[in-house]
Amino acid sequence: MSRHKISLTVNGGRYEVEVEANRTLLQLLREDLELTGTKLACERGDCGLCTVLIDGTPTKSCLVLAAEVDGKEITTIEGLVKGEELTPLQRAFIEHGAVQCGFCTPAFIVAGEALLKRNPSPTEEEIKEAVGGILCRCTGYRQIIDAILDASKSKK
Amino acid sequence: MPLPKFDYLKPESVRELVSLLAEQGEDAKIFAGGTDLLVLMRDRAIRPKYLIDIKGIEELGELSYDEEKGLKIGATVNLNEIIKSDVVRERFGVLWSAANSLADPILRNRATLVGNICNASPAADMAPALLVLDAEVEVASKEGERTIPIQEFFVGVKRTSLKPGEFVCAVRVPNPPEGARGDYLKWGRTRGEDLAVVGVAGLAANSGKKLVRIALSSVAPTPLLVPEVKGVFEGGGSLEEQIDKAASIVVEKISPISDVRAGKEYRLHMAEVLTKQILKQLLGAS
Repeated sequence: MSRHKISLTVNGGRYEVEVEANRTLLQLLREDLELTGTKLACERGDCGLCTVLIDGTPTKSCLVLAAEVDGKEITTIEGLVKGEELTPLQRAFIEHGAVQCGFCTPAFIVAGEALLKRNPSPTEEEIKEAVGGILCRCTGYRQIIDAILDASKSKK
Repeated sequence: MPLPKFDYLKPESVRELVSLLAEQGEDAKIFAGGTDLLVLMRDRAIRPKYLIDIKGIEELGELSYDEEKGLKIGATVNLNEIIKSDVVRERFGVLWSAANSLADPILRNRATLVGNICNASPAADMAPALLVLDAEVEVASKEGERTIPIQEFFVGVKRTSLKPGEFVCAVRVPNPPEGARGDYLKWGRTRGEDLAVVGVAGLAANSGKKLVRIALSSVAPTPLLVPEVKGVFEGGGSLEEQIDKAASIVVEKISPISDVRAGKEYRLHMAEVLTKQILKQLLGAS
């Protein structure tokens, strides 16, 4: 199997790593870089829990090869806090009780941050659309949508 | 489960790609979005020795429009790029609707239109839209280039008319007739993420040259155009009678199976319902 030297930026830090061809971005993040905030679940693009940002675009990292992300900039849940300070969206998740078992939370927050960056005043429909590829098995969608609305400029 | 082992190759030109395909033949798979391919590999349904990533070939990322030739969608163009295109939304409404129905918005950052048709699932959401639009598939190999009409592209469940060594560079979609309107109705178990129980694409032009085209997904071994529908609207009868006749023809021509998503009888019923619905919507019947 081929091996590939890649350099990438993860949460602002530069990494030079060598990966085997069949390594996914998700494995690289969780196992090699020990960034376990991004979750592994269905491994087939259905549940969305492995969502990270690649050059700002929400992407399901279980279906991305590590060899592909040479030169890319990756953002995971660990990259959002500034020191000890949570983002407004992270605070809104806590305030709205949008975290139940917590397993889907990193994905919803990462996708939610990307939405708010692209569209600071989304409608409820636009929020549902943007996070429609992520499943919450506690089914706490109402609180998640409310938290994203609350952190947006649509709030009033 | 980890992916099986393979070599990862990333050519930078079509010339390099076609010689890799000529060398590796059936052992190689083209890799663009990977949203079908990597899932099949994880399930050990396929075990390619080589994955050829085509995202480094700039010309395959072309999404362009020409007044004469229509739309060109390159092999690495993802569905969100198609959805964001004003010309697709305004002039190729059926394609735009179909792209919005496929999987979910995050997956659509990776999934490509060309990948969707090359995977050749009977449930391929982009296929009925391309069938009613009379698209053409541009194919290349080391031997040269050829064009396959979309109607001849699908030959069976997960099978296309591509020969070993060939790959799809782009899909060309000619301009629909003046005043034509189109839509894709996808009936599924849930609103997002799932494959269609039945999908119906329609294209209709009511003014000038009358044209009505219907194609379906998930009701036959391949996505299916039902060309006989057109004749119904060239004959007599009220619009309502014509629509009923067209829907009964659709039911005759399809051959759905029962599977995890729905029974055969339900699919037959929903194909009739959705055909009537889309024809009423496009032809302006109440």
